[in-house]
Amino acid sequence: MSQLPFSEKISVEVNVNGEKRSADCEYRTTLGDFLRHGLGLTGTHYGCEHGVCGACTIHVDGEPVRSCLMFAYQANGKEIQTVEGLSSKEELSDLQAAFRKHHALQCGFCTPGFLMTSSKFLDDNPSPTEQQVREAISGNICRCTGYKGIVEAILEVANQRTAKGGRVC
Amino acid sequence: MKSAPFVVHQPKSLRDAVNLSAIHGEDAKIIAGGQTLVPMLAMRIATPAILIDINNVKELTTIVEKEYFIEVGAAVSQARLEDYLVNKNTHPLLATMMPWIAHRPIRNRGTVGGSIAHADPSAELVLALSILQGWVVLASAKKQRKVIAQEFFIGALQTDRQMDEILVKIVFPKLDKNAQYGFVEYGYRHGDFAVVSVALIKNDQEWTFAYGGINDTPQVFKEKLSSHQDALAFVAHLANTVNVREDPTASADLRRHLMQSQSELLIKQIDLVKG
Repeated sequence: MSQLPFSEKISVEVNVNGEKRSADCEYRTTLGDFLRHGLGLTGTHYGCEHGVCGACTIHVDGEPVRSCLMFAYQANGKEIQTVEGLSSKEELSDLQAAFRKHHALQCGFCTPGFLMTSSKFLDDNPSPTEQQVREAISGNICRCTGYKGIVEAILEVANQRTAKGGRVC
Repeated sequence: MKSAPFVVHQPKSLRDAVNLSAIHGEDAKIIAGGQTLVPMLAMRIATPAILIDINNVKELTTIVEKEYFIEVGAAVSQARLEDYLVNKNTHPLLATMMPWIAHRPIRNRGTVGGSIAHADPSAELVLALSILQGWVVLASAKKQRKVIAQEFFIGALQTDRQMDEILVKIVFPKLDKNAQYGFVEYGYRHGDFAVVSVALIKNDQEWTFAYGGINDTPQVFKEKLSSHQDALAFVAHLANTVNVREDPTASADLRRHLMQSQSELLIKQIDLVKG
């Protein structure tokens, strides 16, 4: 079968988790697919693929965005952080450890999105109320464990960091 | 859930963008934030051969504040406008409405122009532009023109924008110094589309109510009312008499009930806020 004339390959280069990476993709390749299939960073999960579930949330130039609602070509040259970049290989971040402690996940599919949304939220709001936490994560959907553990984990990290006088990774 | 193939043009100036639009016409779609268009592409509701990506067009990325209004470039993200309004402490009604648009990760990419051009009947920015009696500026390869909100929004997801035109800027008039305002929205989940949203501006005895979600375009009603009691009677009358749509998310009766109950809430709170 001959190739469609406009499924041409383009090259996209991004700085992801502090490392310059590039791969070929098509214009229609979404950023999440590019990260997963182009760069092998499978920590970012695709749930609904139309911006509703929040599982694919990553940071682009420091701001959380849905990686299913952005094309890879639009991220060319940008700074990206994915769940793989939240901690070093040896140790969990304080937020990840709190998620484990509070059973803030069951199947874990939505967890990368929750971690990316809440990590930026805590950077911007060091001492949030429970209501603020619930609103901040309202764009992320968990279908098995509910939100109680997630809210508790985020609040505990906020308290820990405040007690220590700042962010500890 | 994967888009059909397309090619992308990334013009660097408005002139190049409108020329591309003139050449490609119906084959092309304009993309800025893509928070509505990308799902439509993924579901293949839209299958354009060409995308004209306006994110690199500098003329479309400015916020200019004048004495009586704020001009927002079509490609300015909703998050940027939200932060601007908070940091400059300007336009409190618009500032109140911005956080109701979806969620922050969506507002980080979604643009002011995208929301206005999409013209969803329950979109907050569409309601804001309607109650403020704002306007948009459109450009084609041949000319630029100004269209007031009332004439721009002609139906659900329908605007007066012609195929070869690009939305350049959206102009939100500011409130009068002594104006009071309010906004309330009812949806099934934080960040979901509004079932009914209500904005209110009160200038002395002149009350303006605007309703989103109740029909194909925002419905604006302006009336001279001498007391809060009269205002309550006015919204009760509106809720009983105006045309209200019905869809699987809400019956017409529920929408009428929400129109009245939310308006009453705003009327009771109106003395607490000043523009």
